Amino acid sequence: MRARRFLTGLPRLRGVLPLVLLLALWQVAAPSRSPYFPPPSTWWTSFESLSRSGRLYPALASTVLTFALGLAIACLAGGVLGILIGTSRAARRALEPLLEFCRGLPPPVIVPVAVLLLGYAESLKLLVVVWVAMWPILLNVAAAAERVDPLLHDVALSFRLGVLQSLRKITLPSIVPPLMIGVRVAVPLAIIITLLVEMITMLPGVGSLIVTAQRNFRSADVYALLVLVGLVGFALNIFFVVIEDLLLRRFPPRMHNAQ
Amino acid sequence: MRFNLAGTLTIVVMLVLWEIAVRGGLVTFEYLPAPSAILVASWTLLRSGELAAQTLHTIGAVILGWVIASALGLALGLALGYSRTARSWVEASLELLRPLPGIAFLPVALLIFNFSLETELAVMVYASVWPVLINTMGGIMNVATRLHDVARTLRLTPMRTVTRLLIPAAAPSIIVGCRLGLGTALVMAIIAEMLGNPHGLGYAVVSELQAMQPERMFVYVLVIGFLALALNAALVAASRLMLRNRG
Repeated sequence: MRARRFLTGLPRLRGVLPLVLLLALWQVAAPSRSPYFPPPSTWWTSFESLSRSGRLYPALASTVLTFALGLAIACLAGGVLGILIGTSRAARRALEPLLEFCRGLPPPVIVPVAVLLLGYAESLKLLVVVWVAMWPILLNVAAAAERVDPLLHDVALSFRLGVLQSLRKITLPSIVPPLMIGVRVAVPLAIIITLLVEMITMLPGVGSLIVTAQRNFRSADVYALLVLVGLVGFALNIFFVVIEDLLLRRFPPRMHNAQ
Repeated sequence: MRFNLAGTLTIVVMLVLWEIAVRGGLVTFEYLPAPSAILVASWTLLRSGELAAQTLHTIGAVILGWVIASALGLALGLALGYSRTARSWVEASLELLRPLPGIAFLPVALLIFNFSLETELAVMVYASVWPVLINTMGGIMNVATRLHDVARTLRLTPMRTVTRLLIPAAAPSIIVGCRLGLGTALVMAIIAEMLGNPHGLGYAVVSELQAMQPERMFVYVLVIGFLALALNAALVAASRLMLRNRG
């Protein structure tokens, strides 16, 4: 059933035609050693030689690992801090301007600040991703925690639910839907920032691989890596759509949480 | 909005603690400047005119990129929202291109345009066209079918249907798209200035880092933060005004 619903939401297949035509035209028209627009067939040869060189897969693994770990820590930290801030009116009011500034700060400027304070350490990549991905999650959870029906806490009290049980029955169901909205915003941000840290610091990863290729004017490598990044981004998007679908089925959004 | 005393106090207390920590040598970060040192540096940068020059470059680039992206996104979004046929022939291609992070596009832009404003604009436009396009297309598609009946009854030409009925009806969604686009444009401008176009606030942050001038770097970081807040606030105010005067 789910597969069918997923398919009906999909755009018509013939819509791929413009992209295919563009690539075909590119292949025919571009000179094979063009420094700007190398034809797509050379991207594939580049990709093959990159993957044979043994540099590609460790870089890819490092990038994906940083992204995944950073996002996971951001979910945990954003969720916990969000609940704490959301349930206390005073804390929320006291922290609001600071939080707004931190969220509004364009993510890329965090990278030089982190480099200044921590130096070019491997841990820097992870820290920056966590910092950037945490804000949308934290603020969404805080806003939702504030709106949790106070009656539900009374229910927990009168049923004498233990801490664990009340976490599972009351807190989780009201936190998961806003957390997933935050994650939806955080995923593209986390991808961008992971690549950016690697590009600026040249720490190992796909980002530094692309920059190295560009600085050496290996343009076919640049395009090959661009396509790879696009495919990974596409796969991650689909992965998170499925995760969100599963989680929201298990924890459907409450009516009073909807605007 | 009411003045938030508790929130302001939090920030003041934090700044004071920061100052004490740095002066007393309580922090282990070697290069963390004290707030007072940042204040002094911002005065020097302000007087030399450097701060203004870098800020103006970034603002100019962001607005230029945003206008191009919005025009492009609006035109494409209108066409795709209006015509089901056009949508069926193009949408899948767009859906394949959309998840491509704009930043991965930067090295390609550098290959083609070198270190220049064109690189900055290319990256900005590529990234910020999407929210405008998607919101315009969605807004037009969601216009009630009743309005299409009205257009038919009044025998409006397609041109007038679009300008008189569809755009006003889809305006709230279009405006949200443009707002998101501006935020994206600023982020991409900073990124492009850090790596691609050696001008503006993004470049200033990175070059002060390399010159080991932490105070100056923090000045630029804070200016970027306030610029982001100001741009957003301006757009929120503008969109309220536009939606109120719509009629």
